[in-house]
Parts: sequence; structure tokens; C-alpha cells
Amino acid sequence: MTSRRDFLKVTGAAGAGLVLGLHLDAKPRPGEAAKATFHPNAFLAIRPDGTAQITVPKVEMGQGVRTALPLALAEELDLDWSRIEVATAQPGPEFKAMNTGGSTSVSTTWDALRRAGAAAREMLKGAAAAQWGVSIAQCRTEKGFVLGPDGKKLGYGALAEAAAKLPVPKDPPLKKPGEYRLLGKRTPRFDGPAIVTGKAVFGLDVRRPGQRFAAVLRCPVPGGQPKSWDEAKATSVRGVKAVLKVPTGIAVVADSTWAAFKGRDALAATATWDEGAARDFSSAALEARSRTALAGPADDARREGDPAKALAAAAKVLEAEYSFPYQAHVTVEPMNATAQVGADGTEMWVGSQSANRAQDRAAAAVGLKAEQLKVNVPLIGGGFGRRLGTDFSTEAAQVAKAAGGAVQVVWDREDDIRHDLHHPATLHRLRAGIDGAGALTAWTHRIAGPAVRRSWTGGQKAPSQASTETNGAYDIPYAIPAIAVDFAEVEAPTPLGWWRGIQIVPNVFARECFFDEVAHALGKDPLRFRLDLLGDRGKVKFGRDEADIRRLKKVLEVAAAKAGWGRKLPAGRGLGLACHAYDGRTYAAEVAEVSVVKGRLKVHKVTCAVDCGLVVNPAGLEAQVEGGIAFGLSALFSQITWEKGRTVQTGYHDFPVLRLGDMPLIETHIIPSAEAPSGMGEPPVPVAIPAVLNAVFAATGKRIRKVPIEGGLI
Amino acid sequence: MAEYTLSVNGQSHTVEAPADMPLLWVLRDRLKLTGTKFGCGQGLCGACTVHLGSEPTRSCITPVADVGTQRVTTIEGLDPHGAHPLQKAWIEADVAQCGYCQTGQIMTAAALLARHPKPTDREIDQAMGENVCRCGTYLRIREAIHLAAGQGKGVKP
Repeated sequence: MTSRRDFLKVTGAAGAGLVLGLHLDAKPRPGEAAKATFHPNAFLAIRPDGTAQITVPKVEMGQGVRTALPLALAEELDLDWSRIEVATAQPGPEFKAMNTGGSTSVSTTWDALRRAGAAAREMLKGAAAAQWGVSIAQCRTEKGFVLGPDGKKLGYGALAEAAAKLPVPKDPPLKKPGEYRLLGKRTPRFDGPAIVTGKAVFGLDVRRPGQRFAAVLRCPVPGGQPKSWDEAKATSVRGVKAVLKVPTGIAVVADSTWAAFKGRDALAATATWDEGAARDFSSAALEARSRTALAGPADDARREGDPAKALAAAAKVLEAEYSFPYQAHVTVEPMNATAQVGADGTEMWVGSQSANRAQDRAAAAVGLKAEQLKVNVPLIGGGFGRRLGTDFSTEAAQVAKAAGGAVQVVWDREDDIRHDLHHPATLHRLRAGIDGAGALTAWTHRIAGPAVRRSWTGGQKAPSQASTETNGAYDIPYAIPAIAVDFAEVEAPTPLGWWRGIQIVPNVFARECFFDEVAHALGKDPLRFRLDLLGDRGKVKFGRDEADIRRLKKVLEVAAAKAGWGRKLPAGRGLGLACHAYDGRTYAAEVAEVSVVKGRLKVHKVTCAVDCGLVVNPAGLEAQVEGGIAFGLSALFSQITWEKGRTVQTGYHDFPVLRLGDMPLIETHIIPSAEAPSGMGEPPVPVAIPAVLNAVFAATGKRIRKVPIEGGLI
Repeated sequence: MAEYTLSVNGQSHTVEAPADMPLLWVLRDRLKLTGTKFGCGQGLCGACTVHLGSEPTRSCITPVADVGTQRVTTIEGLDPHGAHPLQKAWIEADVAQCGYCQTGQIMTAAALLARHPKPTDREIDQAMGENVCRCGTYLRIREAIHLAAGQGKGVKP
């Protein structure tokens, strides 16, 4: 049993109502529990007027944490949802774990948030019981009130001050699922009203007194540096105030974003470059190196049985190569950050998924200690992993320091695509061995490409690199006697980063499509073949993850049944399916219904079944399923390619994203579960691509092994 | 730099700006009306959509000099109380995810409803087809437009 000594404390001053500081990591490391200082990393404040403020330790980028996390606390506390304010935390000693990614926000905070709500509820009941001279057992709570015997009723606001003087209960009773009033019900997004009226503040909407705007002229080849430029061309643009060399390029500071862009463009026409190490980088060369690596040495992620022997002994060996391109994030809000670094203040406003890193790195870059740079995280106009990077926030601090005063550094769409932290291309070679009796006896999956993991480890090779890069491949859930999954790293000179669904997207694409190929080669129904090879197993361990095969089978069966798997379809129309247990925590299966007319793919409908444990907010969950599928489908037609160290693509015109007219109907089926909640931001993404491409095969007999679909036509 | 007198959300504003400065930046950087968003600067994503008169217009490629006496309506002026049927429907259908593109979506939809009070799915797809939502809220956008038009959740094809 771990100590919860440091878990909750009253931290508010007298007159502030009840302010509880929570320490969300309820398991102190050895020695940590003895520390005298208490660093809460989430807050609950119940003010004398009865309003409650919940400070959320994760950032909102559309995935719904500013709704879901407060719901967990509000449920236990029986708060009146209409009287809640939500604040986003600021990184610092109190909030050290603001990193928001990997679909982990609910799973990592849920337990502590519930306990905090329950503790506050018991304290409020205690205060009411004392005032009424009754026992706590005679009190209950409802929508912001404590109710006692004989119709006694007091609001939380009136009790907050007295409650704050009571000891914090260590193990307050938690509600049972049958008692939930908020959890499991559809709760609309907390920020909805601010969003639809234009009042919501995103990073680009920050306006500080005297704020100026900057654009940075960067070498079109990532990592390159300017050799020469004619500053006068920029300063002659009306509104331009300063032209400053900064580590990432040349900053043009102006009184409007437009003047900064114009000044930057005028400067660009005069600049010469030292293009640096990436100057000859091309997609064709990388692909050639990756193809070589498909047959070279590699790091094992999973090896079971003797795949080489099983393949040699196989009656038939199937082999295929799959290819997935570089991808960009293209958040609709381009990268930006606002900073002030000088005698008049040291503060930053940045939509960062990694606020602690952003603070540490920006501070270090401008000669400050982290605690000297206050960091505010406004709403984020799309993250998808791009904003885990700290390049844009560090750059803004550097520009602000050079310019003085408050400066907002704005990236335009071309900056955003050229200097994205791209998700790298991979090649996949898969082999399947089939014995004389028609059984799948061997499966090998070699992945070759640049290692994203290094973007997170300062360029170092991490011990977990192979399993990170093969995530979605090494945890192939099917029972096959011999399995080898490995990763052959290919160096690439441009910055990389995470992407919604990370490497699981290309890996599950290759795995689930090739598995479909094997099913067809054996003349088996792809659903039946999957169910057979999932088998009657329970929890199965794959490396660091453990997946419950029964839960995976269930989503597969439900998605197939709801989609009418096996029904007769007109010519040119087909159903395809795919499934995955995401990090062993979230189970998703999708059935796509497509048609192909004159080569044009139309995805009519995607039927999705998911199991992510207990559902905090079904409305938010369905939104993530719809958005995740849209993100996956979008990737079928988009890619980043490189020539001479530059991205060929520069905007929405050549990096298309899914539009309304191409959005399929989506039907989401949630498997009821009492398991601990996991996450839904990413799990629907990887399954969408193979479901659609398997449906294309069913419709046309054509097997698409390369994304994007070449020329957009089947 | 020239002076322009613009009618924005029923109020007259005189701003100093170069003739080629797009209306978007006049709104955002001069008038601090930040509900109108920057997405691409090329008229390709619709995040910057405002109304000039009753026309949905990409403010990121509309030079301020071209605005003249046309009435400019931004999301801040769509309804004085933020209670336009579309704004209410957007909440009811719980459309937004990150929310960044949604003001442009709503302005585009408002112009559609002004022309076609009872739009079909096809009319919606056509009118909204150039507005990007990277979060993929499209189904709810269509649903919310039908809701605002008093068509329930709409007839799905």
C-alpha cells in the first residue's frame, strides 16, 4: 500500500473558501513522501459564492480534457456543472507533468481527480454536519449542496470556509458506477460557448500591451543558415520595426503580422544560404536506403519461435512490401508563440503539448532559470503531436529577447509545412509462411526508416527505440507460432516528430492489410480468419504491453455485426475491416464500406466499435472516433516529399486534408466496460487506413500497398 | 499608409493600413477582433471567413482597400448576444473539437442559410466544402446546420 500522505492538502488562504491542492502522482517515489514541501499539481477551489474552479494539469487541443478531467472530479464532489470554471495549469514546480500526448490524459489523472473530489465532498459534509449537530452519515450531497435531515440544506460556498479547517480524509469513499450522475452521460465541450462566439483565446489570439508581430525567414532546407541578406529590403516595408538575426534565421519584427510577412518576403528575395547537412536530402534517396535496409541488419522488437526455419519449411510463402510516406500535421492554427523577455517581464504564451519542456528550453535559450519564465497555455488550434516540439516556443523567446517588449512570432502555412517536425516515411517488408495444411506458421515484419524516438531523446538511441518504432507491428495480436518484428534504422537529416497515432499508423496499415492478403490467399473470410487466430485467449503479453484478446475480439465482432459483414454488395462496392489493441489499453475495430467509380474512391461509411474501459464522456469519445477516422482517411491522399533538402509541398493546395464532402458517415459503438478508463485520441486513427484499403480490395480486387494512393486514383 | 473607414459589426472604425493589407490583419492586429482566424493566408481553408455585405469572404486575401463601404460582419457581430441559431446549434450538436476553424465554419454556414434557409446535404457540402477542419468535425457541422435550419438532425444519405 502506498502512502497517500502527500496526496491532498488545503492550500488556500483564509477567506478564499476551500482550496485543495492535489498531488496527482499518488505513488511517491522512495524517500519522496518524507519531503516537507507539498507540490500540488492540480487544484480545486470552492469559492464562498459557491462557484468551483478546477485547474486541469493537461492542455486542451480538441481532445476534450478541459471537459473530461473536470467531470471526473465533479462527479465525486457532486458539483453543479453549470457553476464550474476550468483553468489550464501553468508549468512549474507544482505542475511538472503537463506533457499531453499518447492518449493518456484521462488514464493518468482519473484516479487522483476522483479521490480529490471525494475528499472535498467528505469535508463539506463534515462542515455541514458540525454546523447542524448531526452525524456525517445523515448528510448527503447533490449538485453543489449538502443535504441533511429535516430538509436541512447548505450550499458548498457557505460551507467552504469551515470545510477548509477540517482534516483531509485519506481514503474517502468513491461512488459506484451505478451512482454516477455525470460520468457516462453526454456532456458538451466546456469551451463550446466561447468557441462559437469567437471569444476563445488561442495562441495566435494573445494580445499584450504594445505587442509586435514577427515572422522569421528560415532556410528552406531545415538546419540551414543565412549567409547574406539585404536588411534594407525589409526595413523599407512600412510597419517593419526591426530585422534581427536569431538562431533559427532572420526575424522581421513589425507592427502587424502582415508587415512582418511582407518584410520577411522582401528579405527572402535577397537571401543566400548555407543549406547545411540536409541540402541533398531527397525522398527518392531515402527510399533507396530504406529498401536496402529492408535486407540488412535490424534491431529486434519481438522474436518468437524460429521464423527463418518456419519460413523455410513453409509450403507457401507470401511476401509484400508496404510503404507509408512522410506526413505533416497541418494544424489549422499554424505554429506561433508570444513572448516577452526583458526588464519589463519574462513571460510566454504558447499552445504547447509539452509545456514543461517548452518552459525549460525557452528559459535556457534566453539565459533564464525555468522558474523565471512564466508560461501560459491558451487553447490549442490543433496539436496532433506537432506541439510536443519546442522549436517554435524557444524561437519566440529568442526573438522576443532580441526585439524587446512583447512579440508574437507567427508562422505562415508554408513555414508550418516546411519546418514541421514531420512524421517519417517507412518501408515495410512482410512475409507469411503457410504450411501444407493451410495454417499460418510464420510472420515476419521488417520496418525500415528514420527513428522518431530520437526526436524525443536529444538524438540518442533509446533502449526502447525498436519497440517504439515497431509499435503496432510487434504487438500483432494473432496467435502465430513464429514471429519476428524488427526495425532497421535509416538516418535522415531533417527534424522529426510524433504524429496522431504515431508509428502505429503505418505499422498497423501494413500489418492489417497484409493479414488480409493472407486471409484471401487461404480463401478465408478476413473476419473469420482474424477471430480464429485471436483464439480463445485472455490477457497476452507483448513486450511492455499486455492486451486482453477477449476485448479485441469483442470490438471486432460488434463492428462486423453492426456493419452487416458478409452481406451481398453491388459490384464495385466492398467492405473491409481492421482492428488493433492500442498500447494494450484501447481496443478498436472498424469496418469501412467503400465504392470505386472510375478509379475514384468513395468511403461511404465507417462502423467503429471501441472499448476504452469506463467512458467518462461519450460525447467526447464519439468526437474522437470521428476525428480520428477523418485524420486517418486524410492520410490516404497526403504526403510530404523531399527534393534538394526542401519539402516539395508548401500548403493546403498540395498537402490536401479531408473536406466535408469526403467525410464518410461514422457509426460508433461503445462496448460497456467497468475497466479503468484509457484513451481515445489516437486509437481510431491507425485502424481506418487498412479498413478502407481492405475494402478497396474487396470492391475491386486491387491491393493498395502504398500510401498515398498514387494520383488519388485506384 | 492610407486611412480606411470600415463598417465592422455595425460600428465605424478608422484604421491606418497599407492598401494591400488583407482585411484579416486589420481585424486581428488593428481592431483586436481575434475571432476571425488565420489558417493559410491563401484563401484555401476558410478559417478567416467574414461577411462582406451578405457574401462569405476570405478575409485573408481581401485587401483592405477593396472593402470600401461594404458592411463587414465577423463572428463577434454575427449576433449581439452570441445566440444566432447556428451558434446555438453548434453547441447542441457539440461540434467543436479544438475549435479553431469553427468561427469560419459558422460564418460560411450563416451565409449559406441566408441564401438557402432549408439546405440539402448537397448544398451544405458545396457551401462548406472549402472550409478545413483538421479535427474532422464535419458530420456535426452538417448536423448543426440542419438543426439551425429547423430540419432536425437532417436526413442522412
